[in-house]
Amino acid sequence: MIKYICKRLVYLALTLWVIVTATFFLMKKLPGSPFDSERFNMMSAQQQQAILEQYGLNESVPRQYVKYMGNILHGDFGTSFTYTGQKVSTVIGGRIGPSALIGLQAVLIGLAVGLTLGIIAAWRHNSGIDYFTMIVAVLGVSVPNFVAAALLQYYVALKWGILPVGFWTDWKCSVLPSIALSFSATAMIARFIRTEMLEVLEQDYIVTAKAKGLSPMKVLMRHAVRNSIIPVVTILGPIVVNLLTGSLAVENIYTIPGIGSLFVDSIKANDYSTIMGITIFYSAFYIFVVLIVDIAYSLIDPRIRLAAGKEG
Amino acid sequence: MKKRVLALGTVACLAIGALTGCGFTGSNSSPTTGGSSESAASTEAASNKTEAPATGDQILSVYANAEIKTLVQWAASDNQSSKVNNNAFEGLLRLDQNHDAQPALAESYDVSDDKLTYTFHLRDGLQWSDGTPLTANDFVFAWLKQMSAEATNGYSFIMTDYIVNGAEYNEGKASAEEVGVKALDDKTFQVTLKAPTPYFSRLTVLCQFFPLNEAYVTSKGDQYGLSAENMIYCGPYVITSYDPAVGATLKKNDKYWDAANVKVENAQVRVMKDASAALNAYLANELSQVALDSANVAAYQNNPEFSSKSEFRTEYLQFSLSNPVMANKNIRRAVSMAIDRETLVKAILADGSAPSAGLIAEGMYGNESKSFRDLNGNICQFDPEQAKKYWEEGCKELGQTPTLTLLVRDDSVTKAVATYIQSELNKNLGIDIVIDTKTVQARNELMDNDNYMFASTAWGADYDDAMTYLDLWTNGTPYRGSYQNEEYNKLINDARVETDDAKRLDMLLQAENLLIDEDVIVAPLYHRGSATLTKSNVKGLINHPFGPDVEFKYAYFE
Repeated sequence: MIKYICKRLVYLALTLWVIVTATFFLMKKLPGSPFDSERFNMMSAQQQQAILEQYGLNESVPRQYVKYMGNILHGDFGTSFTYTGQKVSTVIGGRIGPSALIGLQAVLIGLAVGLTLGIIAAWRHNSGIDYFTMIVAVLGVSVPNFVAAALLQYYVALKWGILPVGFWTDWKCSVLPSIALSFSATAMIARFIRTEMLEVLEQDYIVTAKAKGLSPMKVLMRHAVRNSIIPVVTILGPIVVNLLTGSLAVENIYTIPGIGSLFVDSIKANDYSTIMGITIFYSAFYIFVVLIVDIAYSLIDPRIRLAAGKEG
Repeated sequence: MKKRVLALGTVACLAIGALTGCGFTGSNSSPTTGGSSESAASTEAASNKTEAPATGDQILSVYANAEIKTLVQWAASDNQSSKVNNNAFEGLLRLDQNHDAQPALAESYDVSDDKLTYTFHLRDGLQWSDGTPLTANDFVFAWLKQMSAEATNGYSFIMTDYIVNGAEYNEGKASAEEVGVKALDDKTFQVTLKAPTPYFSRLTVLCQFFPLNEAYVTSKGDQYGLSAENMIYCGPYVITSYDPAVGATLKKNDKYWDAANVKVENAQVRVMKDASAALNAYLANELSQVALDSANVAAYQNNPEFSSKSEFRTEYLQFSLSNPVMANKNIRRAVSMAIDRETLVKAILADGSAPSAGLIAEGMYGNESKSFRDLNGNICQFDPEQAKKYWEEGCKELGQTPTLTLLVRDDSVTKAVATYIQSELNKNLGIDIVIDTKTVQARNELMDNDNYMFASTAWGADYDDAMTYLDLWTNGTPYRGSYQNEEYNKLINDARVETDDAKRLDMLLQAENLLIDEDVIVAPLYHRGSATLTKSNVKGLINHPFGPDVEFKYAYFE
C-alpha cells in the first residue's frame, strides 16, 4: 500500500511537470500581451523596458521557462500582472477559501439529496417517487447552474427576502450559491445510485438475504446500498474537483470572491503568472483527488486491490 | 468498512473546513436602508420605491463592475481604482457638483504672466489621516514618482508632456532637482511648464496628481497600497478595508480640512461583475446606485429613480491607411456616412449614450461660453445617398468591389454595435461586411501589427480638453491607422505652445475637422452613456463624465 502510494506520488509529480510545461508554452502563444497596449504604447521606452525586466519578459521564452521552473521549486509563483505588486500565491490563496466552502457545501447537499432520492427511487421502482427522481435528474443535468443561480437569487433573495442577494459577508451568503451549484451533483449522484441499485437488487445474494428472512430495511442498507455505492465514489472525485474549484457564473451572480472568476479573468488578461499558478493548483488538486478516490475504492470493495497481485 | 469510508470523508471535510475557515470578508454591514427583509416588499421591480428610514448609520454603497486591481496611484489606470482613490485622496483642486475644478488642498494658485509658472498655496493645517502634516513636499514626491520610470500605469505622459524636464527625468537624463516641481516652503508648491497649457490646473483633479507622503510610502516598501492598513489618506474618506475581489469600505476622514461639509459617515465600493446581479442588489437595498444595461432601460426609464447622461468617451471606427482598400478616402467616407448614429443610440444602445457629432464628446470644454462640440458642430453627418455615391466612386478607383472586414472586441455591446453597422452598410451601400470578433488582447495585437482594415475602438478623455483626443493621431502608429499628415501634426504642435487661448482653440477645431471631415481617418459612432438608478433618499451623489469617477463628498441622505 505504502509502496503503491509512493509510486503514485512520483507519477503525480511527473504529470504535473508535463502539465506545467505544456501550459507554459501554450500560454505564451496567447495573442496579445499582459499589458493594456494603449497605455503601454504611451509609456516611455525606459518604462517599457523596466516593466519587461521586472517580469522577466525581456528574455527568450525557453529561458523564462527555466527561470520559472527554478522559482516554483523554491515555492515562488511570481507576481501577478493584473494585481500590481501582489504575490500570485497570496492572490490565489485569498480566493480558494470562498470557492472551497461553497463547493464543499454543494457536494454535501448533492450527496445527501442525491443518495436519498436515488435509493428511494430504486427501492420503489416505477413509482411516483421514481419518476420524480428522474425528472429531477434530467432537470439537474440539463439546467445550467447559472440559470438556477439567477432564479434562486430572484425568488429566494429578492422576492421573498429570506437570504442575502449576494456579497460575501457572513455564512448566510454562501447558502444560495451552494444550492445552485449542488443541482448537477444531486442529479448525477441520484441517477448513478438508482441505476446501480436496480442492478444490485436483482442479484442472487439479495434474493438469498430476503429468503433467509432479513427485514426489507436490513436488506436495503446492508446488502443493496453498500454494494451500489462503489460507482458513486468514482464519480465523486470529478464532482468534488469540479465544485471546489469554483464556478465563474455562480461567483459572478452572487459576487463571491472565488477562484473560478480569477482563472477566467487571468486568461482574458494574459496574466501569465496567475494562469500558471491556478493551473498548477487545479491539476495538483485533481490528481490528488483521483489518488484519494482510488484508495477509497479499495477500502470499500475488497475485490479491488491497488497493487494488483503484489499484495496477494 | 463503511465506517472507514465515512471516517475518510470526515477527515477530508474537516481539512477543507479548516482551509475555508477564514473565508468571509467585511463586517456584517447593514445595507443602505434597513435590513434586507424589507426588500420582501419590493416585489414589483419597475415600480419599486424605497422607504427611507431616518437613521444616521446609513451606508452609501456603489459598485465597481470589475476587480479593484490596485490602489497604488502610480500603478492604477482604471475606473475602479479611481472610484476609491478619488474619495480617499485629494489633489490641489477637486471637481465640484458641476464638474468644474475648485480649490481643494490648495487654497488658491497664481499663474505667471508667461503662463509657465503655477504657484499653488496650500491650506493651513493640512494633515494626513495619521496626523502627519501634509506639505508641499508630498506633492513633489508623488509627482516625481509618477514621472519616474517606476510608474507602471502608463500615465507619466500626463505630467512629462507639460512639466519642465519631466521627460528627461523619466529617461534618467535629468536629476530630480532639475524637474519643474518645487516646494518653496511647506505651504507653497511651484510647477514650471514647458509651454502654456490652459487646462493644466484642471489636470490636478486627477488621481495621478494626488500627494503622497514620502516617509510613509518609503517605510512600507513594496507593501504600500496592498491593504487599507498600509496607506494614509488626505481625502474626505479613509479606507477601512480593501480586497481587490470584494471592494473597499470607507469611513469619513476626521482629519480632512473640509470634514464639516462631508455628511455621509460610511461608504463602500463593492465589486459586482454581473449587471443583473447588481440590479437585484439595488432592488434589495444593498446598493445606493446601479448602472442599467440596455436591456433594462425600457423597464425603468419612467421610474423617478432613473437618470441618464453621456460620458467623455467616444467609440469610433479606426480605418487603417496602410490597407490598400481603406487607403481610399471615398471608401472611408462612404462607410462613415452610411451609419445612422441616431438610430444606433436610440434602438440598439438605449442606455443614455449620445450619437457622435464628432470625435470630441458633447459638453467638453471649448471656451468660456461654448463647448468644443457646439463650436465645431456636427462633422459626421448621416447621408445614405451621398454615401452610396462615394462608395461607387471608391470602387471605380479601386477597380473592384472590396469585401470589408470589421475587427471588434468580444463584449456584448460592441458585438451588437458591429451587427448594426453590418446591417446599415448592407442597407445603404448594398454590401456585406465580415465581422471579426477577438478578445481585447488579440484585437490590440492585430492593430499593433497593422493587420486590420477597420476596427471598432474607444477612447475616454483623460482630462477635460480636446487635446486628450487629438494628440493621439500625431504618432503615426498602426494602432492609430498609420495616419501621417504634416498639416495635422503642425496644428497639434502649434496648439501645444500657443499662448493665446482663442488661437489655440481654433487650431484644435481645425485639427478635428481635418481628422474627421477631410481625411476621414476615424468614424466616431457614439459617446458612451450611463443609465443609472439612484435611491430616492440619496442626494448629491455625483458621477463625473471623465477622470475621477464617483464623488461621495457632496452626498447626503434625505
